[in-house]
Amino acid sequence: MAIKNLHDFLESYFTANHCEFVHNKDGVLTVQLTEDMDRALMNRPFYWHYIKKIGNPGDPLQLTLITNPEKRDEKGEWIHFGSPRLQQILNKLKQEEIYTKLFERIDTNRKTSLFPWLVVNIKISYQGKQKRDEIFSIGLHLINGSMKTDMMELLGEKSLQMTISDYCYTISPIIRLKSGFTRIESVLESYIHNQTHDWAEVSIKTMEEEIQLLTHFYSSKDDEENTQQEMDKEIGEIKKRYNPRITFNVINGGIFYLAENAIS
Amino acid sequence: MDRIELQKDSVFIDKFETTLEKEGPFSPWELFQMTYQAELTTMAPSFEGLKSLDYLPHMEFLDHQISCANQVIEEMNGRAILADEVGLGKTIEAGLILKEYMLRGLVKKVLILVPASLVNQWAKELNEKFYIPAITHRKNYSWDQTEVMITSIDTAKRSPHREHILDIDYDFILIDEAHKLKNHKTKNFAFVRSLKKKYCLLLTATPVQNRLVEIFNLVSILKPGHLGDYGSFLEQYGKDRKKIKQDKYLKQLIQKVMIRNTRQNTDFDNIKRKIETIWIDFKKEEKDVYSHLQSVTEVFPTFSKITLLRELCSSREACFLSLQKMVTNQENEHVIKPITDKIEQLPQHVKAEKAVEVIKQLGKEKVIIFTEYRATQLYLQWYLKENDITSVPFRGGFKKGKKDWMKQLFENHAQVLIATEAGGEGINLQFCNHLINYDLPWNPMRLEQRIGRIHRYGQQNDVHIYNLAIRGTVEEHIMTLLYEKINLFEQVIGHLDSILAELNINDIESEIQTIFSESTSTGEARIKLDNLSSIIKLTHDQTELKEEQYGN
Repeated sequence: MAIKNLHDFLESYFTANHCEFVHNKDGVLTVQLTEDMDRALMNRPFYWHYIKKIGNPGDPLQLTLITNPEKRDEKGEWIHFGSPRLQQILNKLKQEEIYTKLFERIDTNRKTSLFPWLVVNIKISYQGKQKRDEIFSIGLHLINGSMKTDMMELLGEKSLQMTISDYCYTISPIIRLKSGFTRIESVLESYIHNQTHDWAEVSIKTMEEEIQLLTHFYSSKDDEENTQQEMDKEIGEIKKRYNPRITFNVINGGIFYLAENAIS
Repeated sequence: MDRIELQKDSVFIDKFETTLEKEGPFSPWELFQMTYQAELTTMAPSFEGLKSLDYLPHMEFLDHQISCANQVIEEMNGRAILADEVGLGKTIEAGLILKEYMLRGLVKKVLILVPASLVNQWAKELNEKFYIPAITHRKNYSWDQTEVMITSIDTAKRSPHREHILDIDYDFILIDEAHKLKNHKTKNFAFVRSLKKKYCLLLTATPVQNRLVEIFNLVSILKPGHLGDYGSFLEQYGKDRKKIKQDKYLKQLIQKVMIRNTRQNTDFDNIKRKIETIWIDFKKEEKDVYSHLQSVTEVFPTFSKITLLRELCSSREACFLSLQKMVTNQENEHVIKPITDKIEQLPQHVKAEKAVEVIKQLGKEKVIIFTEYRATQLYLQWYLKENDITSVPFRGGFKKGKKDWMKQLFENHAQVLIATEAGGEGINLQFCNHLINYDLPWNPMRLEQRIGRIHRYGQQNDVHIYNLAIRGTVEEHIMTLLYEKINLFEQVIGHLDSILAELNINDIESEIQTIFSESTSTGEARIKLDNLSSIIKLTHDQTELKEEQYGN
C-alpha cells in the first residue's frame, strides 16, 4: 500500500483538500491552491497577515509540480520521493491526519445496524546499531473482541464516509476504547516476545566491548582531574548509541462503524 | 529480550478519546489512508542498505562514495574518520551518511564544524545536493532551536556559544579539516572531546602528517581506547610514523575507524590529466636584468635573491616592488637603483604574452591562472583586460561573501579567474577544466591543492594543465629537477605528504631555498636538487610496493 504512483497520490491529495487542477498532463500538474493549502504549503505568513489586515480575501497561489523526470526542466517544481515539497506534504499528513470516525456507506431502506471497530495503525521501530521499522494495521471489533491484521487493506475495499447513511444506526461498544487499545498493544507485545532478537544481542555485545575498551583507556589516566566525569559522558554516549530499544508509535487510528460481517 | 527497552505510545489513545468527546476534528478517509501510505513509504523496512539513494535521484554517486557510506553506517556504527584524498568527495560521503541517519529517524540534532571559509559552501551543498536544511550560524541564532547548524570551530568554542553547545545532546557531529585536531593539548581538541555526541565524522585528507600519535588523538575523539591508552601507544609506536605500514595489526585497527580512498583505488581515474609544459625564452632585455640581478652578490641575503629571481620570472611588478622595499639606506640604494631603473624600462612580460596566447587559443573555455604573487595577479588582471579577456581575482584573504561572489562571477560572466596561492583551499571549480600554472610553487603539495580545485568529484571533462616556465632560470631547475623527475603532474601525489614526513622534511619549500642559498654555483644547486628528487622518488616507489603488499 505504499505510494506507488506519485502522480496519482498528489492528485488525490489535492482533491481531498478541495483544490482544483488548472493543468494536468504528462506528469505536469498545476494546482490552484485554496487559502488553507496556500497557508500550509507556501510559507508566506506575512502576506496572509497583511492581506487580511487590509480586509482583502487574498490570492492563493498556483503550484506546478512535475512528477515526470523527463519534464523536470520545464517551469515548475520537480517533485520526487526526496524532494522537500513531498516531505512537506507527507509531514503535514502525518501531523494532522491522525484521528477519524467513519461509517460504511450502505444503500438501504431497511434499518441496518453498524458495528464499531477500533482501527490502529502502528509503527514498531527496532533500534540497535541500526534501525528498522515494521508497520501493523490492526482492527478490533469492539463488541465481540475479534481482531484483524492488515485492516487498512480490508477497509480499502469498502466505501467509507464521515456521515452515517440513511436508515443506519450504530451499536454502542461493549469494550471500552482504552481497554481495546491495551488489548491491541498486548498482542503486539507478545508478537515481539516471540521473536529472536539477534540485532539486540549484537548491539549489546558491541556496547559491552566498547565500554570495556573505554574503561581500559581511562584506567591509565588516573592523574587527570575530570577523568571520571569524562568517562561517564563517554559511557553514556555509547549506551545511547547501542542500547537496544523497541518503540511503538501510533501512526493514526479511529473508530469505524461497519456493517455486520463486513470484515470476515 | 529483557535487556531491550520497550517504549509504548502513551499519547495516542488519550488524545483520541478527547477528540471523540469534542466530536472532532476527524480526518476524511482519503487523507487518513494517505497518511498510512506515507508512513509505509518513508519507513525503513530493513536494518541494512542505504534508503537515502532513493531520495536523491538527482545525484550520481561514485561507487567508492556509496560503499564508504555503507561501511560507516553498518560496520563503523557511525563514528569514523573519512580520509579520502583531496577531491574524491568527502563532503558527498558525509552528506550521504547524514541523510541516511536523518531519514531513518536516528539523527535530528546536528552540529557541523568547518573552517570559516567553507561554512557557506557546506550549507549550499547540504541543502542543494541532499535537501538537508542546514543553516549557517549568524548572530543571535539559537543553538537550541536549529536542527542542523553549521559554524566554525572558532565561533563554537567562544563564549557564550560554547556553553550553549556543550549543553546540547547532539545526535551527529561532523568536523571538517580534522587534522587540525591532531594535538591533544590544544583547546580545540579539548572542546571537541567535551561535546556530547552520538555519531561523529572527522574529515581530513591528511590523517597523519608527522607523527603516529596524531592518529591516536583523532581516534580518541571517536572511540577512546580503540588504540589502547596514550602511554602504551607512545611506547609501542613512538613518534615514528613508519610503523603504521610495518605493523599489520595497527593498520587493521585503524581501518576499523578510518576510510581512505585514493585516486588509484577508485574509478575516478576516467578523467585524465593532460599536462603541457610550455617553455619560454626571456626577451633580451629581460634576460639582461635577470643576469644583472643574479650577479649582484652584496646587499641581499641569498634567500631574498632567490625570491627576487623567482619574482622576475613572474612579473616585472612583483620583483620591482620587492626591490623597492629593500631600499633602506644609500649604500644599498646605489646597487638596487640601477636594477629598478632597468625594470622600469622592460616591455610586457614574455610570460604574460604567452598566457594570453594560450587563453586565446582555447576560445571561450574557462581558465584558472594560479600565481604566487599578488603583484603578478594585479598585473595580469590589467594585461588581460588590455587584451579583451574578462577576468576576476581570487585571494585567500577575501571574506566569505566575496569569495562566493567571485566564484559566481567566474562561473557566469568572466572567462578567467586569477588566483593567488592562499585562495587554493576549499573552493570547488569543477565547471572549469583548464588551469595555467603561471609560476610553480616550490611545495608540490600546494601544486596538488591547485589542481585539486578542478580535478575533483564532479569534473566531467579531462583536465588540462599548462605550466609556464622560463628557460635558463631558476624555474627550469625546479621544473626539470623536481616536478618532472618525480613525475608529479602525471601521477597524483597521493603519497607525497607521507613521503615528505617520512624523510623528515617538514617544509620542502625552505629545503629547496636552502639548497639554492647554500650552493656556491648553479651546478652545485643542480646536483643537490637532483639528489633531493631522487630520494623522494625512491621512497615513493618503496611505498607503492608496501601498499601493494598490504592493500588498503
